[in-house]
Amino acid sequence: MTRIEPGICETVTGPGTLDEIHVALDEFWLAHPQVPERIRLGTAIAVAEIAANIIEHAGRGKSIGLRMEVKALADVVEVIFVDDGWEAQLDLTVARLPGDMAERSRGLALAQSVLGELSYSRSGGTNRWTLISERFH
Amino acid sequence: MAEWPMRQTASGVTVVSPGGRLNMVAAPDLREQLRGLVQSGSARVVVDLSDVESIDSSGLGALISGLKAARNAGGDLRIVAPNAQVTAVLELTNLNRVLNPRESAEKAFDDPD
Repeated sequence: MTRIEPGICETVTGPGTLDEIHVALDEFWLAHPQVPERIRLGTAIAVAEIAANIIEHAGRGKSIGLRMEVKALADVVEVIFVDDGWEAQLDLTVARLPGDMAERSRGLALAQSVLGELSYSRSGGTNRWTLISERFH
Repeated sequence: MAEWPMRQTASGVTVVSPGGRLNMVAAPDLREQLRGLVQSGSARVVVDLSDVESIDSSGLGALISGLKAARNAGGDLRIVAPNAQVTAVLELTNLNRVLNPRESAEKAFDDPD
């Protein structure tokens, strides 16, 4: 794992990846105290879901290269994940919460519910997820 | 398999106390522990979340799996002491409807539902 500055995490996925991402995000919050608690909570929830989704689905059981970069813009937090794993097979426009007794498939809908914007693109063999928080004010 | 601490209340309810981050790394073991408990005859289960730092959709899946197993065996699974993050995730996913936090492990089964 390489953390160049607070909020940047470059790693090869494995059992400790979610912990690495959590630490990187915590370091980012320390360096950006202006970000309100409500935004931190929502961003952390969404980051955990998208990172888990990448590790599980883009990796398909194998390690992949993953980079997360968090930025504080004027009134939102932006998180970009880039990975070199398999292409995601999904349609973010139809992500909905399943029934209460479902044991899976809540992640994307949960992430969307706490973000202002969530998008995914595939280009040149890499996946790119962009998470934009809700506005600070 | 990692196993979280367990205890029994005076009324025979089994209390499981996971800790840390209930994510895709920790959830499979919790799911197995809860299902194993129910299979061994403990259908009234409380999950004490006071040491849980955060939960994600995988962790929710483990709780729902345990809830279904307990109900299928004629019991129930109830939760106590979620922190602000866990409470927010339960509300955002509407799972507070089926995992409504109780006042304490000892009183978690005082209400019929």
